[in-house]
Amino acid sequence: MITGPALLLALLLVGAALIYLLRRMEAIAAISAAALATIIAIGLWKLPTAMPVRLAGRTVWLGRPLEWNGLSLVLTPAAQALLVYLLLTGAIAFILGWRTYQGRTFYPFGLVLLACWATVALLQPLLIAPFVIVLASIVAIFLIQAGRPGNTRGAWYQLLFPTLAVPFFLIAAWYINLAPLNPDDLAPYRIAGWLLVIGFILLLQPAPLAVAVPAIAGHAPPVVAVFLWIGGQAVTLFLLQRFLVTYPWMAATVDSARWLLWLGVLTAVLGGLLAAVQDRLGRLLGYAGVFDYGILLVAMALRGTAGLPTAVWLLLTRTLALLTFALGAAALRHYMESDRFDRLAGAASRLPWAVAALLAGGLALVGMPLSAQFASRWALLQLLAENDTRWVLLISLGGCGVLIGVIRAGRACFGSLSESEVERESFGIAALAFTLVLVSVLLGVFPQLLTGPVAAVIMPLSILGP
Amino acid sequence: MTIFELYRQMGLLVGLPVAILAGLGAVLIVVPRDWRAVLFGYAMLSVMLSLLLSRVLPIEWALLQTIVGGLIAVMIFLSAGELRNVSRRQIRWSERWPQMASLTSFRLIATTLAAIAYYILRDRVTLPGVQPLFRDTIVWLAMMGVLGLALHTEPMHAGLSLLTLLGGFELLLFTLVQGRLVVGLMMSLQLMLGLAIAYLVLSHGLAPTVKAEAADLADFAQ
Repeated sequence: MITGPALLLALLLVGAALIYLLRRMEAIAAISAAALATIIAIGLWKLPTAMPVRLAGRTVWLGRPLEWNGLSLVLTPAAQALLVYLLLTGAIAFILGWRTYQGRTFYPFGLVLLACWATVALLQPLLIAPFVIVLASIVAIFLIQAGRPGNTRGAWYQLLFPTLAVPFFLIAAWYINLAPLNPDDLAPYRIAGWLLVIGFILLLQPAPLAVAVPAIAGHAPPVVAVFLWIGGQAVTLFLLQRFLVTYPWMAATVDSARWLLWLGVLTAVLGGLLAAVQDRLGRLLGYAGVFDYGILLVAMALRGTAGLPTAVWLLLTRTLALLTFALGAAALRHYMESDRFDRLAGAASRLPWAVAALLAGGLALVGMPLSAQFASRWALLQLLAENDTRWVLLISLGGCGVLIGVIRAGRACFGSLSESEVERESFGIAALAFTLVLVSVLLGVFPQLLTGPVAAVIMPLSILGP
Repeated sequence: MTIFELYRQMGLLVGLPVAILAGLGAVLIVVPRDWRAVLFGYAMLSVMLSLLLSRVLPIEWALLQTIVGGLIAVMIFLSAGELRNVSRRQIRWSERWPQMASLTSFRLIATTLAAIAYYILRDRVTLPGVQPLFRDTIVWLAMMGVLGLALHTEPMHAGLSLLTLLGGFELLLFTLVQGRLVVGLMMSLQLMLGLAIAYLVLSHGLAPTVKAEAADLADFAQ
């Protein structure tokens, strides 16, 4: 009998190896990677986990754990939902990457990265999971550099913080094992709680540690950068949720909701203000991403109330917003041969749909009306206002910063072309940009379309176990 | 007497000199610009760490540190060798790899100040279940690792500083936990980090060459 985790990882890794061989035929590689990710996602969503099924003449049991040497991979319903989300995001990113020339290694390494994230989501014991996050970071640096020599800051920061986090988790594990020997002594729990908090701060990288995101955005291809943030941040937050449910004393000993709220607000404000003064699309995307990430952290901090559904809702809408922005930025960077604002003049006349995607994605990251993020942001701000209205004002200040940055980027794209040899955007880019903008507007007008997916995830997330 | 027994007894006999040499290896990683000195420092640190670890771990496991350190040194040596060949071509000394964010004299002064702080503070540090020699080594390696990470942006120096920090942590972790899984994971982690660092060294080091070639092309076009 084949277990679900074994089948999942084998498909992703074998697929990655085969697609690596095909990487020079980029269209085939991209479509194969996207198709594989989609098929696995549909399989995970449709197949039952509680009983074995027959697949291609073999018996497969998705819910059965894969065990080895004290480690196990278990496909829980919450992990199942996360994996479906990650795989579908990966499939969309592969298609966008193909049309915007993000590098041929994106497809095989992207699948390996998905396998690493899947392992983090499934792995038990939890305290070993940060090792796999470091492994994912190591794979990510090859995607960030994309075979080009030059600035390695983004790749280095991507690697540094998760590596620094590992020791804290391992020492915390020692304290956690020590604690039951003397149940009256609460000191081991307190120390372990603080060690886990420090470890998670290093993994989550809120401000002022959020240096990796803009550094990656400045150097890496935009779609690759966005794929790394979406997946990495979602997996880390999922891991945090698993820790909080598995070790309930963690929230009690160190008041994790409070530090998450402060760090989230600080991240959103700093990201927003710095986005206002950027003069490159990549850096603007990076700081707008930091702002948005801060808001997601705030939603996680409010998980005790209605924060968890809002966090899941935000996770879905931010994915769309970030991918739309990244598509616009990648197309502009490719056709204009630069992403500096002073080199983008006239882009709107040659690349109208790319500019539209840039503006729609940027405004969605701000949380403007008629964008996918509006309703989810509005719900979060209302929740936050119930606690303290000052937090809402601070987040709005960050949003103003991103808005200024997006308006500056939009203005830079108009005017007359400085170089007449700029090609018109391809039909593929125009079609993808149109689709993403349309979906964003549709979700802005009919936010209830996401009610089903969000509701399907909430229950498993709130009860997920060790 | 087997070679493993000899190794263990050597580790027991020369505890303090081994710790001093490990500390010296860490200094060699942080201070010099020359990549040969840095790699020598890392190789020395790996061997000394392995000798120290043989006090708390089975010899076969402790020896893994030497093997992993050696493999990492080889990977970085290969990257450095590529860059040495490239940087011989018409590039000024100041633009050659490795380019540092600070002067050697500055790093030396920073290390001296760190040594003074270490001398004053080391007795105040309490680590659970760790003997004083290990505690002193852990604190020094952690200080040198953090200092290296703060001073360097170049991947070889910064990466080996990170591995120095992890080396200090290993002394603490393996004193507390002696599990096959944990040892295997830590060693694999270091090996994978070594691979990533070697790649980044090459990627970072080739950048001046690319710039120089672009400038040459621009001159040629004019």
